[in-house]
Amino acid sequence: MRSSAQRALMLGPALVLLAVFMLVPIAIAGYLSFTDWDGLTPNPNPVGWANYQRLLSDVDVRNAAVVTLVITVVGTIGCNAAGLGLALLLNRRNRFTSLLRAVVFYPYVVGPIIIGFLWSAILGADGVIANAVIPVPFLSDPVWAVGSITFVVVWSQFGVNVVLYLAGLQTVPPSLLEAATVDGAGRWQTFRAVTWPVLAPSVTVNIVLVLVGLLRVYEIVLALTGGGPAGRTSTFAFLILSSSFRSNQLGYGAAQAITLMVVIGALALGVTALRQRAEKAVAA
Amino acid sequence: MRRTHRGVLAVAVLLLATACGGGFQQSGESGSTTSAQLRMLVNITPVLTKQFYADLVAPYEKAHPGVKVTVEAPTAADVSATLQQELAAGSAPDLVTGSLSTAIVPQLTALPNEPWVTDAPYAVQSKVGGQIWQVGSGTQAQSIVFYNKDAFAKAGIAAPPKTFDEFTADLVKLKAAGYVPTQTAGDWVTGAQAQMMANPNVLNTTADWFAQRNKTSVTFADSNWTKVLGVYQSWIGQGLTSPNAMGLKYQDSIDQFVAGKSGTYIMGSWLVPTLDSARLPFQAGVFSMPTFDGSPAPLAGGPSVPWSILKSSKNQAAALDLVKYLVSDKAAVTAELAAEGNFRTGFDYPASALNKEVGAIVAAARTTVVASAGQGDNSAPTGFGDEVNKLVQGLYVGQTAPQVITALDDWYTANAK
Repeated sequence: MRSSAQRALMLGPALVLLAVFMLVPIAIAGYLSFTDWDGLTPNPNPVGWANYQRLLSDVDVRNAAVVTLVITVVGTIGCNAAGLGLALLLNRRNRFTSLLRAVVFYPYVVGPIIIGFLWSAILGADGVIANAVIPVPFLSDPVWAVGSITFVVVWSQFGVNVVLYLAGLQTVPPSLLEAATVDGAGRWQTFRAVTWPVLAPSVTVNIVLVLVGLLRVYEIVLALTGGGPAGRTSTFAFLILSSSFRSNQLGYGAAQAITLMVVIGALALGVTALRQRAEKAVAA
Repeated sequence: MRRTHRGVLAVAVLLLATACGGGFQQSGESGSTTSAQLRMLVNITPVLTKQFYADLVAPYEKAHPGVKVTVEAPTAADVSATLQQELAAGSAPDLVTGSLSTAIVPQLTALPNEPWVTDAPYAVQSKVGGQIWQVGSGTQAQSIVFYNKDAFAKAGIAAPPKTFDEFTADLVKLKAAGYVPTQTAGDWVTGAQAQMMANPNVLNTTADWFAQRNKTSVTFADSNWTKVLGVYQSWIGQGLTSPNAMGLKYQDSIDQFVAGKSGTYIMGSWLVPTLDSARLPFQAGVFSMPTFDGSPAPLAGGPSVPWSILKSSKNQAAALDLVKYLVSDKAAVTAELAAEGNFRTGFDYPASALNKEVGAIVAAARTTVVASAGQGDNSAPTGFGDEVNKLVQGLYVGQTAPQVITALDDWYTANAK
């Protein structure tokens, strides 16, 4: 048994890092969210809850929340569906498996800004598709543009879901699969009754990871649409950066950031709790 | 346990203090013009590259062996955002060039009331609180319209338009001739072009319009902004702007014009070097922004490559000496002017035919007004350009001109100090 002093000593470095790089910045942001700081003046004025009240009536915030919600919900479903589907396909051993795994993971390791500019060159009004195939308003119509961003986000993210689901599939006991085959179960029955229950923890991890990631989508929006047309593709993260640095409203930006952090935390905890309940139900 | 907490807190506070208060150590004493290390945050464009600035200061460094100038490109979205972050981190540069909002003025050094400052283009207009905080090397012309002369000939347009009615009629003819009548794009271009249309038609009668709007003695609704946006909306309705314009980036719009697909392109004089180097498949020309009554438009412009010194600089004297060189040395100023095709009386450089056309517009202008979001005390609040851009783009997605005008007034009233 270690003494509490030893435990504290071992925890110390991690706590220091956590405090310096997470807790202190959050505390500073929290403080700034109650001020009118413009990022330039040395002494920000306290404004109480004014920034948070403004959030509730700000049309741009409402629009960004809707866009973020759409990208997050559709993107989470898309990433997980594509990830699981491809993981099931790549879970077999043949000469192309390793190559294909590398190919599907590749977009994930490319920077989102690069991906944004790449797809901008493909989807833009003067892009590859418009010039070679058919002029679809991928980036010039607000609805199409949000759809395009969602697609690109899924395309760039799902590689990691494939890897995580593949890792989950490795944990499915071969004996159970063989037993299902012997019992005459088809592919779908085997997946539903054997694979899916074992995959439940992987599903939870994938959903939470993607959910948290997509709520913070910024770079792809910046490179693909710049928040346009007419600010209709601004995500919450994009709006925070716009408010903070382009409009010199760091106090208001901090209030937006704190709000987003709380939303992300609540959703992550909520989804995790729901998934754990589902996992227990499946296990039972 | 308690001791551990205190330790954690002490380390955190120490690290925070380092992050917030430290900054770069600067060599050279304040007041010395012979020994200093100067950091220069610069605005990067296709023509104003990092190498351009390095070459620009090289002769100065050669003449001042003790002075070392480091050119720094923005690490955030633009110069303003980068400067804001560097100020917050306590690592501001010594000098900065680029478009800055008046909010940054308390962080800048007031420039001396000497001829090399006061005689610089737009220096007086850029005064805030009676002091000059930035000084440019030349005049940048905005609110001009580049046009494809071949397209005009093919469309049967004999001369550039003087009024907006004529402009619209010409755009209709260009469309019939198979051209994109007027080239635009998403990005920042939509709002910038709207401002270029509005400024000469709003500030021509009220030169200090932004200052008056800051006091709410004028509004967008009762100004020519209403007419301008009405015209712009009618252009969108008639298909006189680029199809799918909002899916184009700034460079795309340049490419379309350079390829000869567009009849006209509202932009600033900085486009000239790009067009000159593009080997155009047509002859390009330029005319000043039309007005509603056909009277000659004032020149809407601003200082080109404007320089400021940060108050936090430990090398004030050296920084000031370098700025003086950058805005008054013949070779330096000429290099800056030539890079963007800008203008300044008494500083000549070999100019292209297109640049001479812009120069003729500058020379012929009877009056000048401030461009973009204004200058000095006669400026719009920070973020105005982005807001105009967003709202004008709304015309492409179902908003109407009156709605945009109302939103502009609302935003301005909420943000003016």
